[in-house]
Formats: sequence, structure tokens, C-alpha cells
Amino acid sequence: MLAKSDQPVGKFDELIQGARIHGSLYRDPTIFQRELELIWYKVWVYLGHETEVPNPGDYIRRAIGLQPLVVVRGDDGNVGVFFNRCRHRGNLLCHRDRGNAEKMICPYHGWTYSRSGNLLEPTFEEGYDDNLSRDDFGLTPVPRVDTYRGLIFASLSADGVSLDEHLGGMKEYIDLFMDLSPLGEIEIRKGAQKLRYRGNWKFHPENSMEGDYHGPFIHRIAFELHSRATGLDMSSLHANEIPDVIRSLPGGHMVEDYRGATMAPPSRPPTPARVAYLELLERRYGKEKTRQLTTTIPPLFFVFPNLIHIMTHIRRIQPVSVNESYVYYHPVFLKGAPDEINERRLRDHEFGFGPAGFIAPDDIEIMERNQVGVRSEGDDWQFIGRGMHRDQILSDGGSTGYTMDENHLRGFWQHYRKLMNGNGEG
Amino acid sequence: MADSAIERFLYQEARLMDEGHYREWLSLWTDDAIYWVPCSEDDSDPTRDVSLIYDNRERLMQRVDRLLSGTVQALDPKPRMRRVVSNIEVGSADGGDLTVASNFILVHARWDTQQIWAGRTLHRLRRDGAAFKMAFKKVLLINAEQEIPLLQFLI
Repeated sequence: MLAKSDQPVGKFDELIQGARIHGSLYRDPTIFQRELELIWYKVWVYLGHETEVPNPGDYIRRAIGLQPLVVVRGDDGNVGVFFNRCRHRGNLLCHRDRGNAEKMICPYHGWTYSRSGNLLEPTFEEGYDDNLSRDDFGLTPVPRVDTYRGLIFASLSADGVSLDEHLGGMKEYIDLFMDLSPLGEIEIRKGAQKLRYRGNWKFHPENSMEGDYHGPFIHRIAFELHSRATGLDMSSLHANEIPDVIRSLPGGHMVEDYRGATMAPPSRPPTPARVAYLELLERRYGKEKTRQLTTTIPPLFFVFPNLIHIMTHIRRIQPVSVNESYVYYHPVFLKGAPDEINERRLRDHEFGFGPAGFIAPDDIEIMERNQVGVRSEGDDWQFIGRGMHRDQILSDGGSTGYTMDENHLRGFWQHYRKLMNGNGEG
Repeated sequence: MADSAIERFLYQEARLMDEGHYREWLSLWTDDAIYWVPCSEDDSDPTRDVSLIYDNRERLMQRVDRLLSGTVQALDPKPRMRRVVSNIEVGSADGGDLTVASNFILVHARWDTQQIWAGRTLHRLRRDGAAFKMAFKKVLLINAEQEIPLLQFLI
């Protein structure tokens, strides 16, 4: 497939060479345009969670790339995803962030749609003859929508791999994360921390799955404060590098899997709520799995191209332009867990994340400086070679590396290269 | 209580925040302090809904320790800022506390960019001898629901 942005196919083999990544990938607007066409408008993109639209008529505004969408629960209980554009004259149909609607009415000329996207009334219909058939003017659904454990994904391409294939081995990690709930279900509530940064979207996944390499440099004070407050010594994770933590999965996904890296036990006894929570988990999952889930940091993961799960929250990355991005932090609540546990998670989340947190802003500051740094074209290459000599290639084509290795980044860029060369299935 | 004493308190707090006198700012708080910056305009419940900041005394101390650590990249180079506090309205609350509402405009300069932040602040002030302490402070940013840049300073 030749993209509208006129890049010769194969160019990306020159820009992405194993451990060398070219600086233009972060600053060239024609590459950004091509990313929209060959990545964002093609692959499965995470939009939100079903608990954000629990009842018929509940809607949230979301986007894929630069294209506004509306996610709405229909009368039949199914979640629909539509291009957020009135079929009449192209006005933004739904302009509120979220809400509940009996019908979706365009503010411009009053064209009215059902919650399932059917055109109910074009208004002053007597002025139209058979050039307007209601059946032809329903809201345009995005070509493909699917969910996994309540996570809503959509693809703007009619063809491509199924969501099941896209997620592949990531499902195991999504399951582990959802299993932190004694009911196996999470809840995303209204409200999110919203942030903008002056940097390319790709800095975000690159930065977010390598907390151990940059952590001791930019997050030192936050980790110290956390250890002092909780008695959990996070430095015990990176004091001794261990294998099989950093994973690259086919499809550009990345994981930090700490299940083999038990942390030093907390120096304080658990609260009664924590004890009750652990009992609920044990009842559902047994002792061994509960121990796995709770004695270390649960796996951190990135689902290509825009979903991140880190400790307390789900994060969405939204590209705006080649050098600007939005980020949305949605705290995750565990259904069935004691209220005190969920409130604790919320306060822990605010400790680390959002524009005023103690961890994420350190990363954001670096991403903005990274965008400035790659303007220097002297030696226009980045190096992501750590651990290359000891990569363990897995049977599914992914790889696994030590705590601070960069094998996950090499996997991310390989997948990116395939898509940008026009060889991707999505 | 003379409103001028309240004004003086708000101006002092503003100056401490602008000039990065974090310990002195911390000393203005009571032990049961709550410092709240919601990220939505409607009435959110901080025990259920996420905020930008929802600090108790312990978290306030952590915030100040971090700002003073000398290791926060977002403070290097140091942001320059000045804010204007105005439109002060004083009411009373239970237990003799005073509720004070005010508006602020804050100009923040760092790197190549000047930002303007604005909002309304609700203080709950408690008498402490001849002075006041802050028991509660809620800052309603006008851009609370927008995608905002880093908020790595006191607001």
C-alpha cells in the first residue's frame, strides 16, 4: 500500500537498523502523516473501558489519530463507535466530553440520530425528495470494534488481524492486571488527568516501559519518598539486574514482568483492609497466584500503539502533531475490593501520576527535552543496543531481556518499521 | 476580623509559592490540612474520583521534600512566576474558621515559554494566635478539564 504521504517503500529499513534509530522519526511531519495513515488509521487502537459507558445512551468522546469519534452504548446494550461527524454538513455531532443522551441531536440543523446511530429525523424533511433516504444517512460506524475484558478497541481499517490476534500474548498480562480485582473486573470512573507535552508520541511508549534504567536517575526522590511512606523498597528491584523481566511481544507490545523479581517484604504490617483484600484474592485465585500478584509490582505493559498500564492506572496516548501529544491518565478501581483499598490506590495514583504527580512529570520533562535534542542532526542516530548480545528470542517471535535491557524497544521499532514500510497487517 | 489581615495572609502565601519558599509555605498549614486541586469542574468526590492534587499533611510534606530535593528535572531550570490574588470574599465556617474565596492569575516562565494559569481558590483559615493557618485549600483551575502542561509548582 502506498501512502498519500510520498515516502518510498523500504525507506524505513534505512531509518531503523537494529539498535540504531534515526532522529527524523521524531521530527519529520511527513513521517507523522504516514504514521496516521499506516499505523493509527489501520491498527487496533484502545478507546476506553466499558464501565465508562455503563448505561444505554452513555457516551464518551474519543479519537483515533486526529479523527474525532464518539463511543456510545446503544439501546441493545452494545457499545457502538461512530465517526463524530454529522452526516449532513460535517459538524462535530457530539461536542461534550461525556454524558447521557436519549438521542444524538446535531446542534447545527437538528439532524437527530438514535443511540445506535440511525438517522431518525433530518428536520424539515419535506424539503428533501428521494435524494435523502434515512437508511443511507446513519452515523458512520468505524469499520471494526471489539473488546477484551471490557477494554474497547477500534480499527479504522476494514481489513486486518482480529483483536484476538493483535493482542496475542498480551492477553496473559491483561488478565493478570484484571485479576488484581477479587471479581476479575475493573472499573474506570469519570474524570481523568489530562496532560499535553511538546514531544512526539513515540517518546511515551519508549520511556514508559523502562522504569528501571532511567528510574535511578530521574525518579530517585519519588522512589525514596514512596519507600519511606510504605516500607516497600523499590530499589530492591533494580539493585541486582535479573533476566526475563523486559519483554517484547509480536505486534510491538512491551512488558515489564516482575513476577520473577520478588521485592523485599514491606517493613510494616498490612492494614486490616489489605488483609481482607488478600483473603478475597486467595479465595478466588488460591495462595500461589495471590502471592505472585501481590508480592511484587504487577506487570507493566504497553499495547501498541496507545495503551499503557502502570501500577495504578490505564493511560491513553494521543498524537496531536509530530511534536505534540496528549496523555490521559485513568485510575483503575478494582471491583469487589474493599473501598479502602480503592481509595488507597487513588491516592497512590495521585502520588505518581498526572501533571502534578511525583513520577510521571519527570518523564514528561525528559520527553520534551528529547524532542529538542533530536533537532541536532550531527550524529542523527539513537542507540538502543543494551542487552543485544543476550536477547532471548521466544517461540512466538518476541524476546526477553534483563531488567534494564532495551530488547523491548527493538521489538517496538521492528513492528513500527514493518507497518511504515506498508507491510503490516494492522 | 479585619479583612486586611486576611489579604496580608493570602499575599504572603502567594509570595512564598512564587519564590519557592516551600518550608515556610508548609508551616502555614494545620495538621489536618487538605490541599485539593480537582481535575473536573463539576463537584467531584475526592474519595472516589481522581484529582490533580489531593494532599493531606503527610503528602504535603512529601511534595515539599521533593520540590526541595534538587533532583526534580522540571525545576531545572527553575520556573519564574508571579501571581496576582484578587476578588477576595470572606465568609464564616463552622468552629470559627473563615472561608475565603479569591481569584488568581499566575504567569509562569520557563525555557522559551510563558504560561498563564488562572482560577479561583477557596481557603478555610483557622486562627492561630494573631495569625492564620490553612486547614483546607481547593483550587479550581479554569482549565481543569483541559489537557494541561506540567504542574510542577505550587498553585
